[in-house]
Amino acid sequence: MARAFLPDGRRFVALLDEGERAMLSGLMEQTRVILSPEIEPTGDAFADVVASMGLSLAAQDQRTEVDTDADAAHEQHADDSVDGAAGRGGDGSDDGAEALGDDLTDRDPALDRLLPTAHRGDDQVAAEFRRLTEEGLRQRKSANLDVALERLAAAYDDRVELDAEQAPRFLMALTDVRLLLAERMGMRTEEDAEALHAAMEVISDEDPLGYAMAWYDFMTWLQETLTSALMGEPFDRDLADDEDDDAADDEDDGGRQV
Amino acid sequence: MSLAPVEQEVTATEEVVSPDLPWVTLVWNDPVNLMSYVTWVFETYFGYPRPKAEKLMMDVHVKGKAVVSSGPRESMERDAEALQGYGLWATFEKDE
Repeated sequence: MARAFLPDGRRFVALLDEGERAMLSGLMEQTRVILSPEIEPTGDAFADVVASMGLSLAAQDQRTEVDTDADAAHEQHADDSVDGAAGRGGDGSDDGAEALGDDLTDRDPALDRLLPTAHRGDDQVAAEFRRLTEEGLRQRKSANLDVALERLAAAYDDRVELDAEQAPRFLMALTDVRLLLAERMGMRTEEDAEALHAAMEVISDEDPLGYAMAWYDFMTWLQETLTSALMGEPFDRDLADDEDDDAADDEDDGGRQV
Repeated sequence: MSLAPVEQEVTATEEVVSPDLPWVTLVWNDPVNLMSYVTWVFETYFGYPRPKAEKLMMDVHVKGKAVVSSGPRESMERDAEALQGYGLWATFEKDE
């Protein structure tokens, strides 16, 4: 059972078992790959992230049909992804690539969340800002993920320890992983988030979407506790222990989203 | 954005009144970032005291966006870049 990040002297320590560390590491590595400028998209984006979570793609075809807006958004997105048919079971017949705007047509939509447009209303200003800042942002985000991956790899007795310099980097890494996973699940608005949480009531953790959502909530919980610890807020026993043996799925495990 | 002659005249008039029309940095609501985390970012990056950081966070949450800093364009570009580094949905624009 996971235990949240808590202050321990001048450090912050969480207890995460091997499976939890492996899952976090896999998602962080996937995020890092997407942030690498040289990466070529190779297949269906959602299938890729599910595959990185150690779940067979076959299960995706078997998943329970849950007709929610968020689900529809996910499907729409999956069809829009570059070479979207590559990882899908023969149902990627429609060629629905939509222009995201000018030279960003083939850009992974997740990058629009990790590196969003910085000026709404003036594409030229936005493009210039992107040209000047994107490489640096990619490098800093990658560096944060490297620190987080190193701390997960360095765990002993399930203790994941962060010093004062590493803790903010771990927080930022968790944010970027959650942004990526949210995008892959089609969670782009508050309504999407509500629909996905509602869908959790009727689909199982064995379902790829439910599985992804459960780990999303687990990371939300982990981030909430580390943020509280960094802000010096009083220790909350109810929040500190993850109730579940596997991925957290209780709604009150998650923090409140902005 | 087109710069029709009429708009140029308006801009010129405004500049006479306010030669250093400030720019602003905005943070937009999103379903992923946590209320606590956004507050922490405002405290950490801007050095805002907790009440101000929380008020700005609530503005983002309730109103959908908030102006989190203002000043010269270069500073706003720097703020937007830094906040994007934290994973917030930050933009900059000329103040209206």
